[in-house]
Amino acid sequence: MGKPVLYVPGIMDMDQVETVAGVIVLGHVAKMTARYETSLNVPVSRAIVMKSARESCRESYLLEGRPDLFHDDMVHYLTDDQFAYAAGVNGIMLREEPAACLYMGKFYAESLLLAETGNSIGAIQIAGTASPAQIPFFVTACDYTLIGEEFFAASAYLSSEPELIGGVYGQDLLKIGVVSAIGISVLWRLFFDLGWLSYSVLDFLTIQ
Amino acid sequence: MFWKRQVPIAIAAIIGFITLFGWFVDEPHIESFVNDDATQWYDILASFAIFLGALNLLKLQGQKIIKQQKGWFYSVLAILGFTFSFIAGFIMLGAYTVEVTEVVGSETAVADVLAEEIHMDAEATGNIVRLISPEEPYPIESPYFTRKGAEKVVSALTASGARAEVQPADWGGHLSTRGSLFNWMFRFIFTPLSATMFALLAFFVASASYRAFRIRNFEATLLLVSGIIIMLGRVPIGGRISSWFIMYIIALALGAGANTWFKNRVVTLATVGGGLLVVTIAGFITGWPIDQPAIFYLPVLQDWIYNYPNVAGARAIMIGIGLGIFATSIKYILGIERSYIGE
Repeated sequence: MGKPVLYVPGIMDMDQVETVAGVIVLGHVAKMTARYETSLNVPVSRAIVMKSARESCRESYLLEGRPDLFHDDMVHYLTDDQFAYAAGVNGIMLREEPAACLYMGKFYAESLLLAETGNSIGAIQIAGTASPAQIPFFVTACDYTLIGEEFFAASAYLSSEPELIGGVYGQDLLKIGVVSAIGISVLWRLFFDLGWLSYSVLDFLTIQ
Repeated sequence: MFWKRQVPIAIAAIIGFITLFGWFVDEPHIESFVNDDATQWYDILASFAIFLGALNLLKLQGQKIIKQQKGWFYSVLAILGFTFSFIAGFIMLGAYTVEVTEVVGSETAVADVLAEEIHMDAEATGNIVRLISPEEPYPIESPYFTRKGAEKVVSALTASGARAEVQPADWGGHLSTRGSLFNWMFRFIFTPLSATMFALLAFFVASASYRAFRIRNFEATLLLVSGIIIMLGRVPIGGRISSWFIMYIIALALGAGANTWFKNRVVTLATVGGGLLVVTIAGFITGWPIDQPAIFYLPVLQDWIYNYPNVAGARAIMIGIGLGIFATSIKYILGIERSYIGE
């Protein structure tokens, strides 16, 4: 009890959609920490992300009616460098021993450094990323992982706004379409190879 | 509210639409904006924003030291490091090259002085000295951090019978000049520290793999088996393991499975015995070729796992990510998702 929540919004700047999605989820996390009067620590690796994340947290604390709990330094800048940032965040983890560590954003090789350190201090860990190479590391070291599109759907799901949920529904419909197209193409090709069809799917898909 | 809400949303929408359509419209101005101008604008903004970050860093570390919070001495190091980098980058040039332009006195005396500076033996230095002329001056490769240090060497060379001068590096260029103060700091402090952090990854991978590979359920077992096949199949020793050996292991594994499933000794014995017999007979008939049947040969098997089940899973995730990015971007551009400005 009384331990802080650590939120890591990735190591990239706001020009990456994952970072923006990470900042959006941060808003929801900040609401929760404001509601339960828990301290929140957000070390960032880009100055623009710092400003954006700070605004997001400020609004969340205001919306929860606890502006008194918000202070600018809960979102603070560490460094732009990947491994120096990982070292800094690991240091914070070991010194403050947060109860929960959330990793939401774009990550590279530092993902496992962060997640394993979080695991070693026994924190509850939730990760979300669209970096395919980092997903296995997070799955291994974290308690819950938002894989790829789940990460983008998380903010819509948390907001419960119909127009945002509609986007998730649209994605699902598109996925059904893509899966159907793959299935039909495989069958089409199979029938062509068996000689039941005279027109190949590859001819149909190839731009002449 | 207008400046904090509508204006950012309008900027995001307009620039978002231009950037999006820049990929579909064959118009040189829009293409130039998308490929060059927009990224440069972003870089300029980010460069200014770094001051905010640096000030924030100094403020927080300073507070830690003043309040003597837990681990405050690390903050002292952070501020010292920042100050050193700032001085080496902005205030102190730290790269003064000495150029020997002519030898007017004894070549041996000049070679003796030069040998100490370039850390070469007298004979090799003597050969260099003989080639020095006003048309082909000799710059001492490693620069000096201070002008005073460089001038001291110039004095020594002049006293020995050479003409030499100090050449300061260009501002800006000094950051990448090999041997400059900033470059020295980067190569001998920053790079090893980064490499140390990166090297830690190996140990973390080992501990994470151990956790992932522990046999808890069917999925973890599948992961373990696939991991072993991939690891063995990608090293030379994997190619030396006969596919028949793998088939024997499979026969034994089938026996273990039969035992778990049926819990009957006769069935287990029949499965193991039958499996071993079939493999042995097949081996004698075919002559035990190391790589046949190919599906049980580790290099081929790992290749199949890597190229088919692995790629299928990765592509499924990529399709989802692509759709997610597309949907999220459209929501930002259309102003449906406004959480990024705190709304």
